[in-house]
Amino acid sequence: MFSKILIANRGEIAVRILRACRTLGVEAVVAYSEADRESLAVQQADEAICIGPADAKRSYLLAPAVISAAIVSGCDAIHPGYGFLSEDEGFAEVVRAHRLTFIGPPPQVLERFASKEATRRLLGAHGLATIPGSNGMLRDDLHGLEEAQRIGYPVLIKPSAGGGGKGMRMVRTPRELEAALKICRSEARAAFGDDSLYLEKWLDDNRHVEVQVAVDRFGHGVHLGERDCSVQRRHQKFLEEAPTPALGDAARKELAERALKAVVAAGYENVGTLEFLVDPVGNAYFIEINCRIQVEHPVTEMLTGIDLVVTQIRIAAGEPLGFSQADVSVRGHALEFRINAEDSRHDFRPSTGVVERYVAPGGPGVRVDSHLFTGYEVPSFYDSLLGKVIVWGPDRPTAIARSLVALDELVVDGVVTNIAIHQALLRNEIFLAGQMTTNFVDRVGSAAFLAAAAR
Amino acid sequence: MPNRDEVARLTDHAQIEGLADELLPALIAKLGATGLAELEVREGDWKVRLRRSADASTAGPRAPSGRGAKPAPGQAGHGDHAHSAGADVAHGPYRLAATSPAVGIFHPRPEISSGSRVRTGDRIGSVDVLGITQEVVAPVNGIVGAGLVESGDAVEYGQQLVWIELISTPVERTGRDA
Repeated sequence: MFSKILIANRGEIAVRILRACRTLGVEAVVAYSEADRESLAVQQADEAICIGPADAKRSYLLAPAVISAAIVSGCDAIHPGYGFLSEDEGFAEVVRAHRLTFIGPPPQVLERFASKEATRRLLGAHGLATIPGSNGMLRDDLHGLEEAQRIGYPVLIKPSAGGGGKGMRMVRTPRELEAALKICRSEARAAFGDDSLYLEKWLDDNRHVEVQVAVDRFGHGVHLGERDCSVQRRHQKFLEEAPTPALGDAARKELAERALKAVVAAGYENVGTLEFLVDPVGNAYFIEINCRIQVEHPVTEMLTGIDLVVTQIRIAAGEPLGFSQADVSVRGHALEFRINAEDSRHDFRPSTGVVERYVAPGGPGVRVDSHLFTGYEVPSFYDSLLGKVIVWGPDRPTAIARSLVALDELVVDGVVTNIAIHQALLRNEIFLAGQMTTNFVDRVGSAAFLAAAAR
Repeated sequence: MPNRDEVARLTDHAQIEGLADELLPALIAKLGATGLAELEVREGDWKVRLRRSADASTAGPRAPSGRGAKPAPGQAGHGDHAHSAGADVAHGPYRLAATSPAVGIFHPRPEISSGSRVRTGDRIGSVDVLGITQEVVAPVNGIVGAGLVESGDAVEYGQQLVWIELISTPVERTGRDA
């Protein structure tokens, strides 16, 4: 096991990683930017070290600053969290060159899965069905038009790097494609420093289902079931749940087993998530793999009782997994609500401000992962996630009933949040019937949700 | 041959230097000795106004954080205002700290020692970040005072490293005929 871990992230995930380190009895150092000096993670940390100014490009994204901080504070490993440097294989390589361990897949594994398009082909060769798409990266607009014609509209433009829905656009005509390629290219370049794009066939009314896996250095792997992340707004997930209402028990098990077998065969290591689109008749198409801990990991933790961050750190330290598939049982139903600093009544524009009053919900099956406290000033430099409310129940209706109470109890005064959209969703018929698709919020429109819920 | 504007500019610079070296120390001493909050002096085309910061009398030097230390909750740590000129006076009206440009290992310049006279931007040391050297510069004209860290110490971004005792500023130059 490591002796000291540098936490190179912020917000709720920095707090979450700190908890995992303490569970393992490992010292932790929180690396922070000037904008996060008063943050909860810094307050709770045994040690904290300022790595740069508020601008993430000069702090959380600046590899030399992060690595230097790890070295001067005597750490032997770096936990990158999600976002920032978490899936940057170049960073992982430099970390290793400085005799530190990157907590995640080893650099050569990250490199193998770095290109989404190449990963699609790799896992396709290991038995996963993939969505018809462009043959490699788009060389230029003309190549894009030819490929889209061959695949058939509508198509989804996707950047090879990154995630979080940035640089993604669905288009239905060649004219839309030409315009969107330019936008996607500049978005991808700004967000990931890489503007290579590819195309996928767009499936209307699809569901987003992802499988959580954990594979140790010795090739021993387990799956921890799936999560349904179909509730999205403009390709951004904001509510996740498990088990997925989209598939029956046998189909869920079959999908998870097939996913695990493919990634183990492809040489994956550490915790990871394979994302699938599921069509209305239940066919699952692999779309991409996330080689890191995900925002929605607590959903799986609630169902299995397994600490995924601890598991991730243990695997990175070279320990065997220590449990097998037979030890993993999925019990009940869990939902996760992302609480964002954004105004659901005004096109979800980001909000900032000082949290004048914060009250976290509680009760049976309720967990809150958040960095909020009364008096905290939400900085404007980073993403809008304020925390997550995760609610477990023995079945979906109970979990939903508990969720309504929990969201009602949650108080975040002083900063505009998206709590209202969650409350509206929990009263939406399509959602209650478990029939949500990735486009259903955008198609109905968030305004309509809110209006319907206002009653 | 410098043109007329150039000559004017050089003259201005000479005047500013004259102010900085002769007039200001005297004024600062005067302001410090009195209970006045503000002093204004006109000389030729130039006007200099000194204003005492509201908390200047209470803000002493801050304790530097050690290796990877964290600031206490609710209390600003070192260097938090290092890049904000307006807040510099919060460190006391007579000195400013040179701060670290990065997280790494600090090395002072051997030829710079306590008592050395430095000008704004002069290199007084460096911080080694994975073998790449980043310069530590004097934030103000002054005299090198006490060091807050030792050579070879680990320092974080924005950490106060060396005091520079002021011989000019904080001043507000309001400019010609302002």
